[in-house]
Amino acid sequence: MTAVNPFKESTDMFLNAGGEALQQCYQCGTCTAVCPWNLVREFPVRKIIHTSQIGLLTEVGEEDNWICATCGACEERCPRGVKIIDIWRAIRRVGVQFDILPKALKPVMSSLESQGNPWGDTRENRVAWTKGLDLSPFEKGMDVLYFPCCTPVYDRNARRIALASVSLLKKAGVNFGILGAEESCCGESARKLGNEDLFQKLAKSNIEIFKQKGVKKIVVSSPHCFHTFKNEYPELGADFEVIHMTQFVLQLIEQEKLRPEKPYPKKVIYHDPCYLGRHNKIYEEPRKVLSSIPDLQLIEFDNNREDALCCGGGGGRIWMETPKEERLSNIRVDQALAAGAEVLALSCPYCMLNFDDSVLNMGKSGLLEVRDITEILDSVTGEIS
Amino acid sequence: MKKEIRIGVYICHCGFNIAKTVRVKEVAEFASKLPGVVMARDYMYTCSDPGQEQIRNDIKEYNLNRVVVAACSPNMHEKTFRRVVAEAGLNPFLYQNANIREHCSWVHEEGATEKAKDIVAAAVSRVIYHQPLETKEVEIKKDTLVVGGGIAGMMASMDIANGGYKVHLVEKTSSIGGHIIQFDKTFPTLDCAACITTPKMSDTGSHRNINLLNYSVVEEVSGFTGNFQSKIRKKAKYIDQTKCTGCRLCFDSCPVVMKNEFDMMLADRKAVYIPFPQAVPNKAVIDRREDRPCKASCMYACPINTNVPGYVKLIADGRFKEAYMLIRSTNPFPSTCGRVCYAPCEVACDRNNIDKPVAIRDLKRFADEQVDADDLDIPEIEKTGKTVVVIGAGPSGLSAAHDLAMLGHSVTVFESLPQAGGMLRYGIPEYRLPKDVLNKEINYIKRLGADIRTGVIVGKDVPISELQNDYDAVYIAVGAQGKMKLGIKNEDLPGVIEGVSFLRSAALGENIPLGRKVAVIGGGNTAVDCARTALRLGAEEVTIVYRRTINEMPAAPEEIEAAKEEGIKIEYLTSPVCFMSEEDTLSQMECIRMELQAPDSSGRPRPMPIEGSEFTIPADTVITALGQVPETDFTKKIGIALGKNGTINISTETGATNIEGIFAGGDAVTGPGYVIDAIAAGKTAAVYIDRYLKDESLEWRPEKQVKEELTETEITGLKNKYPKIERAKMPELPVRERILGFKEVSLGLGVNEARREAGRCLAGQIEGCIQCGECARRCGVNAVNLNMKDEIVELDVGNIIVATGYDTFDPSVIKQLGYKKYDNVMTSLEFERINSPTGPTGGQIRMKNGEVPESIAIVHCVGSRDKNYHEYCSRVCCTAGLKFAHLIKDKIGADVYEMYIDMRSFGESCEEFYNRVASEDGVKFIRGKATSVTDKAINEEEQGKLIVSVEDSLIPKMLRVPVDMVILLVAMQPRDDSDDIARIFLLNKRADGFFMEQHIKLGPVSTMTEGVFLAGCCEGPKDVPDSVAHAKAAASEVLSRLALGKTEIEPTIAIVDEDICSGCGLCVKICAYGAPSIIEPQHRSHVNEALCKGCGACAATCPSGAISHKHFNFKELLSEVEALAA
Repeated sequence: MTAVNPFKESTDMFLNAGGEALQQCYQCGTCTAVCPWNLVREFPVRKIIHTSQIGLLTEVGEEDNWICATCGACEERCPRGVKIIDIWRAIRRVGVQFDILPKALKPVMSSLESQGNPWGDTRENRVAWTKGLDLSPFEKGMDVLYFPCCTPVYDRNARRIALASVSLLKKAGVNFGILGAEESCCGESARKLGNEDLFQKLAKSNIEIFKQKGVKKIVVSSPHCFHTFKNEYPELGADFEVIHMTQFVLQLIEQEKLRPEKPYPKKVIYHDPCYLGRHNKIYEEPRKVLSSIPDLQLIEFDNNREDALCCGGGGGRIWMETPKEERLSNIRVDQALAAGAEVLALSCPYCMLNFDDSVLNMGKSGLLEVRDITEILDSVTGEIS
Repeated sequence: MKKEIRIGVYICHCGFNIAKTVRVKEVAEFASKLPGVVMARDYMYTCSDPGQEQIRNDIKEYNLNRVVVAACSPNMHEKTFRRVVAEAGLNPFLYQNANIREHCSWVHEEGATEKAKDIVAAAVSRVIYHQPLETKEVEIKKDTLVVGGGIAGMMASMDIANGGYKVHLVEKTSSIGGHIIQFDKTFPTLDCAACITTPKMSDTGSHRNINLLNYSVVEEVSGFTGNFQSKIRKKAKYIDQTKCTGCRLCFDSCPVVMKNEFDMMLADRKAVYIPFPQAVPNKAVIDRREDRPCKASCMYACPINTNVPGYVKLIADGRFKEAYMLIRSTNPFPSTCGRVCYAPCEVACDRNNIDKPVAIRDLKRFADEQVDADDLDIPEIEKTGKTVVVIGAGPSGLSAAHDLAMLGHSVTVFESLPQAGGMLRYGIPEYRLPKDVLNKEINYIKRLGADIRTGVIVGKDVPISELQNDYDAVYIAVGAQGKMKLGIKNEDLPGVIEGVSFLRSAALGENIPLGRKVAVIGGGNTAVDCARTALRLGAEEVTIVYRRTINEMPAAPEEIEAAKEEGIKIEYLTSPVCFMSEEDTLSQMECIRMELQAPDSSGRPRPMPIEGSEFTIPADTVITALGQVPETDFTKKIGIALGKNGTINISTETGATNIEGIFAGGDAVTGPGYVIDAIAAGKTAAVYIDRYLKDESLEWRPEKQVKEELTETEITGLKNKYPKIERAKMPELPVRERILGFKEVSLGLGVNEARREAGRCLAGQIEGCIQCGECARRCGVNAVNLNMKDEIVELDVGNIIVATGYDTFDPSVIKQLGYKKYDNVMTSLEFERINSPTGPTGGQIRMKNGEVPESIAIVHCVGSRDKNYHEYCSRVCCTAGLKFAHLIKDKIGADVYEMYIDMRSFGESCEEFYNRVASEDGVKFIRGKATSVTDKAINEEEQGKLIVSVEDSLIPKMLRVPVDMVILLVAMQPRDDSDDIARIFLLNKRADGFFMEQHIKLGPVSTMTEGVFLAGCCEGPKDVPDSVAHAKAAASEVLSRLALGKTEIEPTIAIVDEDICSGCGLCVKICAYGAPSIIEPQHRSHVNEALCKGCGACAATCPSGAISHKHFNFKELLSEVEALAA
């Protein structure tokens, strides 16, 4: 083993990129032990933190350093309260700064840059999904802005989330509108991928348009948008109420504006998305929505709520290729089936992409339905007349 | 009727401790069948309340009269069960403990049950023979002895003293405070160590119930619990502590520079010292370790008692300026004396007994050459308003002027010649004493404020009576300028010149008509000076004519030698008869040969002319150097008493003349003499003029130190101990160059030669104080007493607290860490000093070269947790390392690497501190033990750095970390003298070397010796809070004993059967406690119950079996053994 000298400047780089948290780590290894990646591959979180602490992390561009899905399982358990995701973000910022990020991310970044969405589609196509829905553009005085997230907007599979959502909003008679092509990606993954400038640009453009339109309350379908709007936009001057669709429909049910009437006699298992659950501690509202449905039998994963397994799609992972045998969503599908579930209920577009894919690839389509909560609710709710 | 034996046996489970390996029920069953056993039972926790209750009930119910509990070690619960038995009305000694835990269940897997049965059977068999014994109560003496004045000793002392009891606190160093006062900050709160400690030190030092015995050691402790007698050696401090004001004036002048232990040898102190500014008591002590091998005869031989051993030692140590200043403190003419003094010191030097004297004069000149007197600062002197006039600016007058000016008097000096200096300028030739050297010395006196007015002849230009009126005092030092005549024919010829005038003219650069052949008459230094000057002025042939032999010649031998080297001829035993002329010009001198006869009044052999031996010496010029007489007629006007040849009569001890306020000295009093005597006269006069001006008695005499002579034995000792070392030879200008002009002949010693020569001085051979007495001379309150002796104090105390602390591990044995090899590898305690505002760098973190380090490695577990050194964890280093890291970041922002095995930062607020240091200070933690430190760089990055090799086991990867400084967190270890302490206080040592407490958990401050307690780190490594808690626990033990006022003495002691005893006395010899003695007239041994410790040595030794040991008598022991053997 050849001895090496610590490279002090490299540590300073991470510290300057917002990674001060790394200094707090006392190397107990809890993070590595709880990191879901270690179920399927090696991901030595503690060790990488340590190498960055003492100035030995130089291979920033290596794909291994971009594995983290920012699921927050480690932070949930860290005995020192280290903001571990901040450390990853700092490492990635250095990668972006030196333009040594993994190849797969480059088109995502440029699409976000030029079109305001990560999916490589045009800004104009943002409204494609609304065709024939007779949705109103948001204007001053409206109660709610519905912000569907780029994924349901551009991905044909995930579009069903947006469709079910607007259907429910209409049924409940909510006075809402959409921004269509004027809105941009919330920027959550840009930030997590270390492209702070891009995040700032996207966020500022959204905040500006929200302000301009007089938006007071936003209902979002994606926990990622929720997290960013709620926790990060205020630093940039945003001032509006953010509510996740599951929370919003629960309010509508409680106000009896929505009435789940039709029986749904299935075993439904709810998967907590990381950004709704661990990151924002919203565990009960989605469950209450499901419980309100007649005949629906809600069952739980052994590892639920703060212990829930990540689908593997956060932190920009959704745009990176994950080998089949390393997909966390596959494990989750097996867990759901083992628990006896017939339907896997979701509340996050990224989860939907991953689980649709897993069920399909694993050949379990006939055994497990993948549904967003709004889809299920929509299917059992009639118009309030 | 013999009472029936009824024994109850209890087999304790001790939870699973015993029951796991011993089948307790089976043992109880077995025991119940043993002879005498009435009942036996097993119980989960016999020591618990219900367990005890059971025993008490059984004693009553079954009418038991013996009890055996088979459980743990008697150390643990023997006392408990004796109490239980006593509570039930039995004598407590009718109880026997059977140890089936430590001796059985803990150490055996198989066969434990069988062994337990054996142990129980032995105990049962023994207890049958137990006799009721009565414990005795003794009073506890009220005073407490606390040994060690660190934080533990201080805190324990204060608690006891605050309780109203007297404490004798013994501290071996000169100040209390211990290690904590060496620290800069204390973790985790970072409060300044001095801020939390100095108030405690001060309170301890001034507490009315604390008798502080600093600089003292306990030598002996005897007696027994509650009644100890201690002997304490108060080491001689050589400074009267009641007089010392802690002014530190003596420190500056002390020539012995030593390393300050308090500063971990990183800074110097003097042999007389106070170790640190906040010391308690704040009084100086003198670190005297051995007697000086010589008697410093040099000091006594010197007319001004120059501190020769002092300045020579400073030169040997390379402290040249300090050496110069020490010389200058008593001698205003160091440059002059370093060149022309006749050096009576060298004649007296005790080194003469071995080889040759130390070249003291040459060393003085060496010191002088290292300093330019013009660069010296002038001290601030408060003026007295008194005026003194000095007549004559020669060495005596100027010395008086110097000293008087230093004392604050306004001094005016009148000098008849154009420049000041007297004979130094006009008598001693340039080649011996260069004028610019002299000018600097005179210039310094002028800078002191002396007003020197040259070209003024007192008695002619200014009447002496006027001076007498205008000034408050007068010092006459006009020297001896009057010529003496040969009284022979043709002495008035122009070619015959008087020597002193000749030298003066030469000094003034006057044109002197000098012939080709010059004869000089005389044998003193003036004659030789004249001869050598004449040679330099162009004479072709110079001859000295002297009437005795070289042995009697008063000129300095080296001068004579130099003259000869330069080609000057000397005609010994020759005296001039008359001068002969040709055409009124001197042509030759007729001389006569002499022979030596019986000594004359001067003690020298009297020369007598040999009839008919006349001969002539051709000479164009003859210089007569016959000596001078004072010209003192001018003093007659005011009635000053004169002696023979016009010398002024004075009181030799004070310099006072018969006229009040007029003093005199130098050649004017003695006739022609030596420079140093003239200086001495001036200095003496200055002392008494000062007294006169202050209206102080002139009867006062300074304390004379008595010179001791070396004995024959001492001389032999010196010869054996100190080898001969060649004396340094003064390098000189080659003869060819010398005679061309007046360049200085002696060239001065080089640095190496001088230091080597200074190293020959015998006084400087010893460690510590060289007894030069400089401190005594400086002390304003007369506190120094170099004759002090150690004192033994005897104290009777009831309790003793040992708080002797710890030493730090010396990491130089771990060679690979480079301690002592690399400048910037230091120990934790050294770094504490570097960090401390009172430390060697004033708290600045600096490398040895004074630069600020950019990166520092802190290496943990140096000597701790390492089987090769100490297996234990030292408990404080991790957090201390964090503290260092924080202080480094805070002060200089350097990169810090903590190289640790495990971070053990436990204790209140310490984890938070760890977190803070890591996250806020950005310290880098490398998990691994540093294996080596080197300066061998293998790449650019490592150049000029210390490279620490360490495996970062968290990656894992071998690292080479280049840093500027390495701090080794060294282990805390038992004191070097802990064996002695253990012996004195009857303490046991654990395997780790620290003193053993009575019980690791339940008896943390008690020891096996009742009445002796432990406090602080002598019991094992502790941080400050733990040490203080431990100390307070010890104080609480003492206070509870004092509150009760009495204690029980175990009755298990030796007893003599006087019917059998033969009085052989073997018991007296074997006993370590002096308990047995032979009583007369019975001539039988008797054991003093109070002194007997019950060790059994006498009983085992007694040849006739007359001594038995209560509770361990033969029957008891044999029945126990028999049961085991059965």
